[in-house]
Amino acid sequence: MSTDRRGLFRHAARAARDAARAAQGLPADARPLRPPLDDTELERYGRQLVLPEWGEAQQLRLRDASVLVVGAGALGSPVALYLAGAGVGRLGILDGDDVELSNLHRQPLHFTPDVGSAKAHSAATKLRFLNPAVEIAPYQVRLDEDNADLLIEDHDLVVDCSDSFATRYTVNAACCAAGLPLVEGGVAGWTGLVMPIRPGESACYRCAFPQPPPGDAQPTCAQAGVLGPAAGVVGSLQALAAIRILAGLPDPLERAFLQVDLAEATTLRVSATRRSDCPDCAGA
Amino acid sequence: MAATLDVTALTCPMTWVRTKLALERLPAGEELVVLCAPGEALENVPRSAREAGHDVAVEGAVVRIVRR
Repeated sequence: MSTDRRGLFRHAARAARDAARAAQGLPADARPLRPPLDDTELERYGRQLVLPEWGEAQQLRLRDASVLVVGAGALGSPVALYLAGAGVGRLGILDGDDVELSNLHRQPLHFTPDVGSAKAHSAATKLRFLNPAVEIAPYQVRLDEDNADLLIEDHDLVVDCSDSFATRYTVNAACCAAGLPLVEGGVAGWTGLVMPIRPGESACYRCAFPQPPPGDAQPTCAQAGVLGPAAGVVGSLQALAAIRILAGLPDPLERAFLQVDLAEATTLRVSATRRSDCPDCAGA
Repeated sequence: MAATLDVTALTCPMTWVRTKLALERLPAGEELVVLCAPGEALENVPRSAREAGHDVAVEGAVVRIVRR
């Protein structure tokens, strides 16, 4: 289906939704009233509900949220598992690849019998087992400049777990244009990076990294090598940052990113400032 | 009449989960009466409520908590 034709359906669906809300006297952006947490939810989320910083309001914000996870691999696995476990209401899982045997050491959403199947669907199956209350939408597609705007639309937050600089810049530009919060992340070898981004408020990925590294300095995961737990650390930090943003908790990385060196067991918090000439976020 | 909550059939951490959420649903200054089983719940529910900044009074197995 062409993008124009999809756009036509999308606009028709949106117009119908807005008309239905107007008929009920609701503003077009109103969300349906959700009931308080039920007994099962209290039990499932009990260990986070008892946190002093957490409560029913934060849990309901998570339940009302829709998050797109770009990539269901080494970072996307822990991100999606923790977001589904925490009770994010709707998760889009985007990945165009199939599961390979060489993925399994670092991608805990996929198991040996999944080799050869689509990662998006393999991930969706596990996430539905983990938390049937979460609506899982698998997208078996590769995100690019042509489809990025369409794919991120109708989400409240994007977590970028992709494995290429090109995709990272594309996701960053699309989120800036849409004003969507984004959690960037990356891991190579023993080092990783996590960066929560609020377009218009904090530095975006391109503000912090205006250019991708030169060709020989951007190894793919296959070239660089990575141990599963190293990716797990970075993905877990991304999930935590996403949950903080969704729940409205103060963000310790609000104007900074975190560099993690797992060979030395050190972290470095690096301040990042917005660039007034940033092609991605200057207008956000 | 104060809101009441019976957590005698529950164990930690659900005793405090229920109490905490019941308190969140009350306006500040309102009282919640919590019935606790003797032992762990009767020790932990008042302690957690005090740590959260609420006023707490214990009478037997009845814990009276005034939401801060």
